[in-house]
Amino acid sequence: MARMKFICDAERCIECNGCVTACKAENDVPWGVNRRRVVTLGDGQPGEKSISVACMHCSDAPCMAVCPVDCFYRTEEGVVLHDKDVCIGCGYCSYACPFGAPQFPSNGTFGMRGKMDKCTFCAGGPEENGSAAEIEKYGRNRLAEGKLPACAEMCSTKALLGGDGDVIADILRTRVVQRGKGSEVWGWGTAYGKPKS
Amino acid sequence: MLLTRKTSAANGASARSSGLVHHLARGLSHAVPTIDRRAFLRRSGLGVGAGIAASQLTLVRKAEAAEKAPATGTGKVEVKRTVCGHCSVGCAVDAVVENGVWVRQEPVFDSPINLGAHCAKGAALREHGHGEFRLKYPMKLVNGKYQRMSWDQALQEITAKMLELKKASGPDSIFVVGSSKHNNEQAYLLRKWLSLWGSNNTDHQARICHSTTVAGVANTWGYGAMTNSYNDMQNAKAALYIGSNAAEAHPVSMVHMLHAKETGCKMIVVDPRFTRTAAKADEYVRIRSGSDIAFLYGVLYHVFKNGWEDKQYVNDRVFGMDKVREEVMAKWTPEKVQEVCGVDEATTLKVARIMAENRPSTLVWCMGQTQHTIGNAMVRASCILQLALGNIGKSGGGANIFRGHDNVQGATDVGPNPDSLPGYYGLAEGSFKHFAATWGVDFEWIKKQYAPGMMTKPGMTVSRWIDGVLEKNELIDQDSNLRGLFFWGHAPNSQTRGLEMKTAMDKLDLLVVVDPYPSATAAMAAMPGKPSELNPNRAVYLLPACTQFETSGSCTASNRSIQWREKVIEPLWESRSDHMIMYQLAEKLGFGKELVKNYKMQKVKGMDEPVPEDILREINKCVWTIGYTGQSPERIKAHMRNMHVFDVKSLRAKGGIDKETGYSLDGDYFGLPWPCWGTPEMKHPGTANLYDTSLNVMDGGGNFRANFGVERDGQSLLAADGSHSKGSDLTTGYPEFDHVLLKKLGWWSELSEAEQKAADGKNWKTDPTGAIIRVVMKNHGCHPFGNAKARAVVWNFPDPIPQHREPLYSTRPDLIAKYPTHDDKRAFWRLPTLYKSVQEKNKDIGKTFPLVMTSGRLVEYEGGGEETRSNPWLAELQQEMFVEINPKAANDRGIRDGDQVWVRTPPMAALPDFKGMKVRAMVTERVDAATVFLPFHFSGHWNGVDLSKYYPEGAEPVIRGEAVNTGTTYGYDSVTMMQETKTTVCQIEKAA
Amino acid sequence: QAPASTAAANAQNGPPAGFVAPAEPKPDENNAARERSQPGNNAPFWRGVRQSGEQAGITNLPGVEKGVLIQEFVRYPGSDHTNAGEAWRQVRNHWIIPYGGSLMLIVLLALALFFFGRGRMGHEHPEGGRIERFTPFERAAHWLNAIAFVLLAVSGIVMAFGKFFLLPVLGSSIFGTLTYGLKTLHNFVGPLFAVTLVVIILTFIKDNFPQPGDWAWIKKAGGMFSKQEVPSHRFNAGEKLIFWGGVLALGLTVVASGLVLDHLVPSLVFTRGAMQIAHMFHAIAAVLMMCAFFGHIYLGTIGMRGAYGAMRRGYVSEGWAKEHHELWYEDIRAGKIPAQRSGQGSAAKPAPRTREA
Ligand SMILES: Nc1nc2c(c(=O)[nH]1)N[C@H]1C(S)=C(S)[C@@H](COP(=O)(O)OP(=O)(O)OC[C@H]3O[C@@H](n4cnc5c(=O)[nH]c(N)nc54)[C@H](O)[C@@H]3O)O[C@H]1N2
Ligand SMILES: Nc1nc2c(c(=O)[nH]1)N[C@H]1C(S)=C(S)[C@@H](COP(=O)(O)OP(=O)(O)OC[C@H]3O[C@@H](n4cnc5c(=O)[nH]c(N)nc54)[C@H](O)[C@@H]3O)O[C@H]1N2
Ligand code: HEM
Ligand code: HEM
Ligand code: SF4
Ligand code: SF4
Ligand code: SF4
Ligand code: SF4
Ligand code: SF4
Ligand SMILES: [Mo]
Repeated sequence: MARMKFICDAERCIECNGCVTACKAENDVPWGVNRRRVVTLGDGQPGEKSISVACMHCSDAPCMAVCPVDCFYRTEEGVVLHDKDVCIGCGYCSYACPFGAPQFPSNGTFGMRGKMDKCTFCAGGPEENGSAAEIEKYGRNRLAEGKLPACAEMCSTKALLGGDGDVIADILRTRVVQRGKGSEVWGWGTAYGKPKS
Repeated sequence: MLLTRKTSAANGASARSSGLVHHLARGLSHAVPTIDRRAFLRRSGLGVGAGIAASQLTLVRKAEAAEKAPATGTGKVEVKRTVCGHCSVGCAVDAVVENGVWVRQEPVFDSPINLGAHCAKGAALREHGHGEFRLKYPMKLVNGKYQRMSWDQALQEITAKMLELKKASGPDSIFVVGSSKHNNEQAYLLRKWLSLWGSNNTDHQARICHSTTVAGVANTWGYGAMTNSYNDMQNAKAALYIGSNAAEAHPVSMVHMLHAKETGCKMIVVDPRFTRTAAKADEYVRIRSGSDIAFLYGVLYHVFKNGWEDKQYVNDRVFGMDKVREEVMAKWTPEKVQEVCGVDEATTLKVARIMAENRPSTLVWCMGQTQHTIGNAMVRASCILQLALGNIGKSGGGANIFRGHDNVQGATDVGPNPDSLPGYYGLAEGSFKHFAATWGVDFEWIKKQYAPGMMTKPGMTVSRWIDGVLEKNELIDQDSNLRGLFFWGHAPNSQTRGLEMKTAMDKLDLLVVVDPYPSATAAMAAMPGKPSELNPNRAVYLLPACTQFETSGSCTASNRSIQWREKVIEPLWESRSDHMIMYQLAEKLGFGKELVKNYKMQKVKGMDEPVPEDILREINKCVWTIGYTGQSPERIKAHMRNMHVFDVKSLRAKGGIDKETGYSLDGDYFGLPWPCWGTPEMKHPGTANLYDTSLNVMDGGGNFRANFGVERDGQSLLAADGSHSKGSDLTTGYPEFDHVLLKKLGWWSELSEAEQKAADGKNWKTDPTGAIIRVVMKNHGCHPFGNAKARAVVWNFPDPIPQHREPLYSTRPDLIAKYPTHDDKRAFWRLPTLYKSVQEKNKDIGKTFPLVMTSGRLVEYEGGGEETRSNPWLAELQQEMFVEINPKAANDRGIRDGDQVWVRTPPMAALPDFKGMKVRAMVTERVDAATVFLPFHFSGHWNGVDLSKYYPEGAEPVIRGEAVNTGTTYGYDSVTMMQETKTTVCQIEKAA
Repeated sequence: QAPASTAAANAQNGPPAGFVAPAEPKPDENNAARERSQPGNNAPFWRGVRQSGEQAGITNLPGVEKGVLIQEFVRYPGSDHTNAGEAWRQVRNHWIIPYGGSLMLIVLLALALFFFGRGRMGHEHPEGGRIERFTPFERAAHWLNAIAFVLLAVSGIVMAFGKFFLLPVLGSSIFGTLTYGLKTLHNFVGPLFAVTLVVIILTFIKDNFPQPGDWAWIKKAGGMFSKQEVPSHRFNAGEKLIFWGGVLALGLTVVASGLVLDHLVPSLVFTRGAMQIAHMFHAIAAVLMMCAFFGHIYLGTIGMRGAYGAMRRGYVSEGWAKEHHELWYEDIRAGKIPAQRSGQGSAAKPAPRTREA
């Protein structure tokens, strides 16, 4: 069974935010809720690099472990989803998530956050696939349509890869080898030129 | 206890509780609201537009529907292929439309240009289907407020006023700023519209974008366009980006470059800022803004010194390189280079070495070079470097000039230019006759529409319309000052000298905005200025145009590929397409019939609109000069339907038959990049890389154009013997073809009798049947425009050999003394234009305004920004106008990251009550301590005050901020009137 | 033409003449330097990603911690050294929930055993005594507070432990809806509890200061097992311990941390780290407080005869007072403390009364 994963190739990501708005548009995510965001380290300095992050769909997911109402579940493809009808908006998943993936439509006092929203790997939620209710609450279920996440499909430089973990790891490996600057060939690759692809 | 669910399961409801209990429970839980996406938007105050919408039910059908319940694919679903309307990369998009509502957007993996990829703007394109913040109906400014009116009334009042102005002050009293956002058909029609109205006073964004490139490059080797393509950059072994921030401005182009990098291409970025593009480079070189010529000569110095130039190539194909060489070796020694641009010898040597040792090497430039008073010279210096290295006309090499708007290339080619008719036909009577014949309109009638003598005189430029209004009448080179102005798809905050623009706006008699968004023009016009400057008779109208997704037509990407956009949805609200508006205005102005003689009409919303395909066919019939003739609507559409057959690296089709028409795509280049010679029937494949002698002309090969005579200073301007495109019957250089040459060569008989009759007395550009082109190319493998040398020395320009000259506002008096600017000009594009007097007056400006101020782009916003700042998906990503400032400069001024600061520039110093531009400080190493950078996409704040109340109600963009062009200074290119937006000066202080 | 291209060098084996090996990477160099010394090795960058909790990156989105890629690495008491989210999860899921839950169960069990073993304590006394033990104000504050506490405890318990005992019974949807309601209730009742708690503290603090005799009381555990109550003042030492420990220390801790969790502390930046810490304090204090108050409630209801009535109606009989708070009773008899403190209409200035019984 395919295990869905994201990889963001920092050598390629140009911080164009295409992935971010692709997600917004495909899933009609409201202002203030950001299922995906792009973070740049070393901004404005040589060595600057960006990566795009969303939910990592962790195998031992902290969010799932702390949820007081146990509304998370995992699909056979390893996608971590949750049920908004059950979610109580307590925010615990966001405290636990190492990556800041869970989002809330509001940040009000009295702990009023609304229901948690996060990246679904474009796999919708517990409602019937492609139903109005599913789209309304979770956005599109692209996996059920045989497509991959909108953010990865539209990434401007193909930095963001999303899909079967094995396949995307292969793509990245090929790239690293092509760059001739994989861990195996540090230094030498640049000195001698690249292996012919 | 992990729960799993099959994605494929038809009903994937939570597995925990089942059956009745489950249903009950779910019903119950529905009582507790989950997040309602659009409703949330509305509640958070962003959806003001939607609030209005509810009360205007008749108008809102589609837009509202787009806001309402999600589409689930149960209605009638259509997929429309269109092209992103933001930048010149030309990314294809599949729009999914359900029951007439644009519900989704899918990537087009087949597109050889973008392979499904999008930047933020392209990925957010679907918001155009919402249009909450659009201008919804025609409006008029009454007592400082915009009031709704009917289309009929608006058209009536506007045309009446136009005719009144024409009568009183002549047709040249009106200036029409057209748009690079228009598709080819609309851009072309607008130029035709202006000619039939009787004026050359029209222009569009290219003026303030790549005009210096177009003029500089065309005068160097023939055509003012990107020579190769984004795709071809995959073949490059080295790439030098100078003055281009492609990662933000042309993001999807980077997919090709990064791939090239992975296969060994070396990437160099030269920019005053360490940009996101620089972050991807192998070498980053920081230069002082405005000093590109010094840097390029610094590189050339090493090229010449080490004999790295391609001697054979230079000998065969370049004119005047020896003169340049002398100049460079004498004047641009490493010390001089370092003095001017700040780059040391080791670095220029390294760059020269990378470019020379890794050929083919390509060079990319963009606004960092063009937007200067010496822009035309800067771009030519870049051309010279590439010519010296023998990179032009080579796959993997070339001058990859990244153009701006989605259709700026097309609008430049066939659109509203003040100095030419479509296809760069000059304003000679012969050209007008050529077009009069195509249009089926009497030449003499057109001539009478013009004021006497004005038909052949280039009009004013968009960069200077302010002066057309404000300048003393006796100093301008036309009868009347400008009294009426159309902003037809153009923002005001994209032109410099915003403070004076406000005065000019107030002085006008007529101001018309034709735009899907009210644009900053609306707010600026409504904002109270000095009462004494306000023309009491001024009339301001806003007309809602629809976007390119509500009509169809073709657009030309930066690589000259032409793509067809299908209509995605019907025009939203009360908007109408630009060509419909042109036709309706023409009807009322009395030249409706002449305008649309060759076109069929179609009904849109019950009204007549010229069929875009017919307009394109008319273009195909007359624009021979640049080969806009082979791209019939049928061929382009076949390309759009069969993108998968085109190779991503070469853009060439490998086989492929279009199912719908049976058209064979084999051998075509994607989008038939112009020149696509001759008639569509000739089946020229288009030209992927210009001037490439390694290919036959019928395979897209070519050579430099013979456009500047055959001889200069006793030297031949034609290519050397043996230098010609593959398979050419003529193996020497040769001039362009006309009936005389054809007869001389004995090829005349290859024309049919009818063709001979039509072509007699004509040249290849005016032969109405295209037969000369066919015979020359198909039968003899020659190029209709001749085979000549490129010019390193452009003797008809103010600086035949590019010279560094300091900007008018420079912080370096020492360099002003050594590299002074031009002398003032009396009448230049109808206006007096100042150089030396401004520079002299401000030579010590650095004492009070010590920071170099430059401006440019953010990936999320585009141009003046009203369109993109009205898109919440984009607006969320850039919520505040800012200035990038180096930590040192900030610390010296007591400014910390995130502080509000005032940015002040010299024009503001003259106004005592003008505090400046209030923006947020972003303290960063991106810029050096002497330079600051501001994005130019903001508007809607003025002197620290939010102008939202001056927009039509509910139509102000989501995000507003200070416009940098409020502060930019005087300064224009000495050939094209390009405005100086990249190098000026400012001072910054912390806001209290 | 171009000098011999590097391609030629490709063909041969080993370094070409004049090849200078790139500099050895230094452990502390930044990514730019590393890119030169070891092209393709982005270790400093990935270290930056790991450390973005301390040195956040830049992102276009406004908001707290948007530039943090991975939460800061910490060790909370009882957790591994790991990212704060995971550490917090460990503290909550490995310690607070299991041990807190067990502790509460143990306390409940102990009370039950005590009840069955010992039965109700104290003697029956006639109702309608004349000594005013609690003024209407005191009673109002107490009961408001008590109600709030019960609501908070119930909702808190469902939040923390509901998924173990309620979810399997109710099913996720009903449980979710119920918990959503209770959680919302908890969030709003919390501040009410905070206010009443402060009132309670102010009203009762005076009589909860340690007094002579308290130590004796403690030493004998109030005489709980000896059937002979140790004399005490108005409140015995047990009550005082509940007051200082349960009401004051734990109560204020719960309130303070609860206000943070509720986003009610002005000018505090509600980072995830702040929330985690607040939560741990809150949950631990809440569990302990609940344990303590299980005892209090037990004694205040079925554990001790007459106690409930005292709080319910405000008055106790002399017998009750003598039995349970002998020293206090004596003070009243001695006129040091008025038997009726809430004056009719002028509670502010209670008129001293003479002893009547
Ligand atoms: N996101 C986005 N994309 C766009 C557009 C947009 O508005 N938004 N607009 C489109 C248009 S119209 C255009 S024309 C293109 C423009 O695309 P670019 O020209 O790439 O964009 P700019 O940011 O204007 O300028 C590029 C760089 O020039 C640098 N620069 C400034 N002064 C100098 C100088 O003197 N010399 C050199 N060498 N560099 C200098 C600036 O620091 C900046 O990084 O982008 C197109 N794409
Ligand atoms: N300081 C500074 N100034 C600059 C620059 C800079 O780098 N620095 N860059 C310059 C450059 S390169 C350029 S190209 C200009 C860009 O500046 P502009 O082109 O003036 O800016 P845009 O906002 O893109 O303007 C396009 C307008 O067309 C409208 N529009 C979109 N589609 C349609 C349509 O189908 N029909 C009609 N009628 N209207 C439509 C949009 O709503 C928008 O109002 O700015 C220039 N100004
Ligand atoms: C003494 C009374 C209180 C008790 C017994 C109590 C108990 C609890 C418990 C058990 C939890 C769940 C912890 C978990 O699931 O890990 C919790 C969470 C919480 N409590 Fe309390 N609490 C009390 C008072 C308060 C007060 C006074 C406030 C606010 C002023 C408050 C606000 C919260 C908040 C905000 C949460 C987090 C859950 C959420 O956001 O809904 N609590 N409490
Ligand atoms: C259902 C819940 C509760 C019941 C049944 C209850 C019952 C009682 C009773 C009967 C008394 C009187 C004891 C006496 O006369 O000595 C009392 C006293 C008191 N209770 Fe409660 N109580 C409850 C909850 C609370 C809570 C939540 C608090 C505060 C957080 C609290 C604080 C006090 C205080 C401060 C006293 C006075 C004794 C002292 O100061 O030590 N009670 N309670
Ligand atoms: S929300 Fe966070 S913890 Fe949960 S699966 Fe996603 S990344 Fe992992
Ligand atoms: S916010 Fe919702 S999903 Fe997250 S832990 Fe709380 S109940 Fe679970
Ligand atoms: S996978 Fe889908 S939901 Fe997740 S970030 Fe990408 S587009 Fe958004
Ligand atoms: S779309 Fe791709 S390149 Fe752009 S920010 Fe996202 S991951 Fe990076
Ligand atoms: S803005 Fe340019 S790069 Fe971005 S999606 Fe549109 S066409 Fe492509
Ligand atoms: Mo542009």
